[in-house]
Amino acid sequence: MAAAETRLSHTAAMILQAVNAGYGYGFSVMEMTGLPSGTVYPAMRRLERDELIRSNWEQQAIADAEQRPPRKYYKLTKSGKATLEASRRRYPLLVKLIPSEQEEQV
Amino acid sequence: MTLRSSSLCELLCLALLRVASWLVAGRQREEWWREWQAELWHVRRAYAAEYGLWWMAERETVAFCLGAFSDALCFREQFKRRIRLATTMGSAMQCVQALFGLIAISYGVALLLPDVLAILHFSAYRDTRKLMLLRDAHSSDDSVPTISALQYQLWKGRRQELFSDFAYYQIAQQSMMPESSVHATPLVGSIASASSNLFSLLGLRVRFSQEAPGSLPRLILSEQMWKKRFHGDPGIFGRIVQVGSNPAMVSGVVGTGAWRLPGHMDAWLLLPQDMGFSNSLGFVVAHLHTSHTQWGEGWHMSAPTPAGAVDDFFCQSLTERTRGPGDVFLFAVLLACLALPATTSLPLGEYRASSRRLSWFTRVRRWSFLGCKLALLLPIAYFVSLDLAHLRSGMDPVTSEYIQLMSAFSVCLFGLRWSLRDQRQRCPVCLGKLSNPARVGQPSRSFLAWNGTELICVSGHGLLHVPEMATSWFSEQRWLYLDASWEILFTEHVFEAPGYF
Repeated sequence: MAAAETRLSHTAAMILQAVNAGYGYGFSVMEMTGLPSGTVYPAMRRLERDELIRSNWEQQAIADAEQRPPRKYYKLTKSGKATLEASRRRYPLLVKLIPSEQEEQV
Repeated sequence: MTLRSSSLCELLCLALLRVASWLVAGRQREEWWREWQAELWHVRRAYAAEYGLWWMAERETVAFCLGAFSDALCFREQFKRRIRLATTMGSAMQCVQALFGLIAISYGVALLLPDVLAILHFSAYRDTRKLMLLRDAHSSDDSVPTISALQYQLWKGRRQELFSDFAYYQIAQQSMMPESSVHATPLVGSIASASSNLFSLLGLRVRFSQEAPGSLPRLILSEQMWKKRFHGDPGIFGRIVQVGSNPAMVSGVVGTGAWRLPGHMDAWLLLPQDMGFSNSLGFVVAHLHTSHTQWGEGWHMSAPTPAGAVDDFFCQSLTERTRGPGDVFLFAVLLACLALPATTSLPLGEYRASSRRLSWFTRVRRWSFLGCKLALLLPIAYFVSLDLAHLRSGMDPVTSEYIQLMSAFSVCLFGLRWSLRDQRQRCPVCLGKLSNPARVGQPSRSFLAWNGTELICVSGHGLLHVPEMATSWFSEQRWLYLDASWEILFTEHVFEAPGYF
């Protein structure tokens, strides 16, 4: 099945939209979507398994410089972006619900 | 907020996250522990900035940590789903169901065979390690009566250091007729005239037991006699019958197969105060003060006779006579276990060379399945061997014992061999039967490459290589686990996440 044809639930689409909007951490996705921890992390894990998002650990040097533990951040993959586009057509209010961080600042 | 309370809250949160991480499957545990730990730092910082009151911020942080339990349980559920059992033909569940079916069939056949039914309901004699059968040492056959009633009474009357009690019985063909049926023909059967303590000494259970008034002897019927001659009528108990020329009260019945002493009896006439024995010879059962284990199963002893001389007697333990079919069966199982390595190899497969290791849960499930098969095999072998040994009613006990031994041994050996071979032909992950055997390699190239049979798990967990010829570098079967690149070959979508390792 092509990635663009993958049909996501509204929750998964919200999380995908949040990650795309720049909320690249589990906690920030929770804060933005209002979804609880028990929903967000398993859903992110499924999205990662389906290769719609990918995760990377932050470099230790960056974390050390800011005197905090290194953080795992998530990014959309190419197929994730295609799936998000398809989901936006299915859920038109998605962009209004979760605008990108830049749009919010404006 | 004090520094101390803040540290305590942080420790509590870390402890909660650590506990939550233990709920996650082993291979993902450290990854999630690390991510939650990292997130916690940011959560605390974010809530501290958002809420003015420290306790409100800590409450939200703890709520986040408690959410980790939901995450962990969710991951655990996903993990469980991935390693579900195979459901196709030859699955583990179908195998267990088939074994339960065999148990039901063999037990059902046992219920239809009266001899087996009697054995299954056999109540053991009381304390057989203290019960001895005494006979004249000059006789080698313990089924021949050798002791006179006078000899028995002499032993019973003397103070004994070795024995605590004696019982006696003589066998004779006697007539028996209920008092009310005047015109009926008397029943003739093998009746044992016995001391009144015979059954209590043996510990044998007498059903419908009733006490006789005064000095009236009690007549205990065998179950066969009761059912055939009295049509199983419970009203017979308490009635007076004429045994020979003397009256006796019918006061109980002994179950089929319960009598294991010499002689085939239709009834037992229990004589009060040991009065009424004839001059013929009989059998003596003695009860020891202590167990005979220190002297063995049989020994000689010298004892005075009524004539004033001293004679030799042989004491034979009743352990062997009263042994149940379980002992023969256990011996057969032991023999089958010893013979098993000669019929098939014992290892279940070669996994040591594999770089991947099955998860703890998968390994336990695989071994549990083997244990379950072996446990279910035992009752099947037990009931089948009993059915075969007692297929024909009234078979000689020694012949029955041999048939039971041989059949239990054969069924156990075949069953154990099948259990191991079946286990080797199953996928260690989903326990499904391996299929599609394919010949690989050429026998002429054994020294340059391997040749043998390759089987595949239909769920796509891996391939099993079974060498045709054992070599020093490829002696046992090997399992090759498949990765996600093989996904397109299988109809079942098992590669969603290969979490069975």
